[in-house]
Amino acid sequence: MTSLSRFARGAQRELILVLAILMICALFASQSEFFLTERNLTTVLRRSVDLAIIGAGMTLVIMSGGIDVSVGGILAVSAIFIGRAFEADLPAPIVVIIGVSVGTLLGLMNGAICAKAKVPPIIATLGSMYVFIAVLYLVIGGTWISGLPDTLSFLTRGDVAGIPVGVFIIAAVYGFCWILLHRQPWGRHLCAIGNDEGAARLVGIPVDRVKMQAYALLGLLAGLAAVLYVARLRNVEVNIGTNVALEAIAATILGGANIRGGVGSLIGTLLGVIFIKLMQNGLVLIGVSSLWEGVVIGGLLVFVLSVDALQSRYRYGRSL
Amino acid sequence: MTAWRDRDPTTKRLFFLAGLWLLVIVISSLLSPHFLQASTIPFLLQYVPIIGLLGIGQTLVILSGGPGIDLSVGAMLSLVGLAVGWLFTLGVDIYAACLLGIAFGAMLGAVNGVLINWIGIPSLMATLATLFAYSGLALALTGGTPIGGLPDHFTWLGQGQIWLIPNHFLLVFVPVAIILHIVLTYMRVGRHIYAAGNDERAAHLIGIRVRRLRTGLYMLSGVLAALAAIMNLSWFQAARPDAGIGMELLSVTVAVLGGTYIFGGQGRISGTVLAILIVTTLQVGLQLANVSQAWQLGVIGVLLIGSVGINTLLDRQSLGQSLGRNLGRLLGQTK
Repeated sequence: MTSLSRFARGAQRELILVLAILMICALFASQSEFFLTERNLTTVLRRSVDLAIIGAGMTLVIMSGGIDVSVGGILAVSAIFIGRAFEADLPAPIVVIIGVSVGTLLGLMNGAICAKAKVPPIIATLGSMYVFIAVLYLVIGGTWISGLPDTLSFLTRGDVAGIPVGVFIIAAVYGFCWILLHRQPWGRHLCAIGNDEGAARLVGIPVDRVKMQAYALLGLLAGLAAVLYVARLRNVEVNIGTNVALEAIAATILGGANIRGGVGSLIGTLLGVIFIKLMQNGLVLIGVSSLWEGVVIGGLLVFVLSVDALQSRYRYGRSL
Repeated sequence: MTAWRDRDPTTKRLFFLAGLWLLVIVISSLLSPHFLQASTIPFLLQYVPIIGLLGIGQTLVILSGGPGIDLSVGAMLSLVGLAVGWLFTLGVDIYAACLLGIAFGAMLGAVNGVLINWIGIPSLMATLATLFAYSGLALALTGGTPIGGLPDHFTWLGQGQIWLIPNHFLLVFVPVAIILHIVLTYMRVGRHIYAAGNDERAAHLIGIRVRRLRTGLYMLSGVLAALAAIMNLSWFQAARPDAGIGMELLSVTVAVLGGTYIFGGQGRISGTVLAILIVTTLQVGLQLANVSQAWQLGVIGVLLIGSVGINTLLDRQSLGQSLGRNLGRLLGQTK
């Protein structure tokens, strides 16, 4: 086997996604001349940064066999702290540190509930989502935190050598996660836990600790996303973060992660995020109401999941 | 009188829930002087049936194992409600429209069942995707505007009362709960559901058609969501595209709080019903005490996590007990 075809097989999902992205680009470009302009694509990129960095964390959590549907809530609560910190006239670096550490703490809390109290992750994070939404309502009620200073806006609007800062943020986050996953024992441990938690425990992997670290990392990234969110919009409103969790999970699954754990691809997730964001942008540009977003993402998920399930059945045979 | 610790864990659970309910009632009456009055009863029961039917459907889906879960119940409620309202505006008789709506609910549930049991997508992901798709459809097809203008005579179900008891509670929720309780406890299908939930391999080997059974339960969940949608419609006289938002989480909460083991095989309808009463009492109590709705969400979240945490704790205890007992038996035999 040539190394090229081996690469193609290993990166099958990524190649399919690249093809799919090219296809929808061609489709949207033929329907709207505005789609392939530099300005539109940079806008899409700037808006994808939050989802992309949350997606990286979600990939790690899903690979460990968990799931976190509360990231939207973590993002919201961190954003509140950031907003309040700004209102208290704290300097920007402190504000960033506050936002990120609030996210990390909330993620760690989720991880502890899953790993130590043995609550299934979907239940634990559904529950904490309620709690986070409650905090959001209690703190800001029906109003907005608005009129925040633009000291951080270089994070979303700035360029370095003509390249948007967002690209560097994404590169840094994915590089960090990639090293954790592929160049550190931690990544092997994470995969082992996702594949067979019992076995991982028996060979002495600190299962609880690794899981908690994965959730905490996701929380950290959600906190970072909150910083970028506030930097971009300079307000905090009640609807913040409602769709983030579902979109991040969708991107991760599109990117080839197995919802049962053990398998996942950071690059795939990034491509999934790009795909989803391009799709949302393109649909609006060709005049489809943004109300159809849910149907499109849902239908897409059903399709990809069905193909995955049928493929794995073909490979491993029927279970029942 | 059997000793407390030898009792069946699900019976213990029922006592625990009854105690919790009493506690909630006491707290609510301390919080608000308006709570302990006869007029609270219809107010409280008014809220029970809708979340109740969804919770019972969720219980059965989780019970049959897999692991099974149906996150699309709220979205099905919204979509069926809109379908019924839409059929009515086309000139279909409202009751015929309701029947068609129930069939539609069964169909939506069947889609879930097929995706999960025949194609093999994990239930969590499949119903998350259909949650997106169904609620997206509900939003997109109506453009976000509610469908109103239902006939006045249709309100008897959702707004009428017999002796302080709302009609939809007495005529829909109670019969459904009793029938499903009897089916689950005394009939063969009920045993099959527990068998499938406890050990799907063994259930399959003794001839239970596990996939068909589970598909049927997802359909039942769709039908119950459709019934809930109809009650909702009759109550509010309008079909809203966001009618069922958040209900999926609440239905999972009551099922799990009611003692349904999240991986299947253990649970009862009576536990779920008690849990529904607890959650509704809490909501009404906090509402009467003028406590912000945000607190309700927060308390429900804590209840959800806490109830599973308690289950795991009870589980570990009974596991330890049975291990101890079996070890003792083993040692006794070897002597």
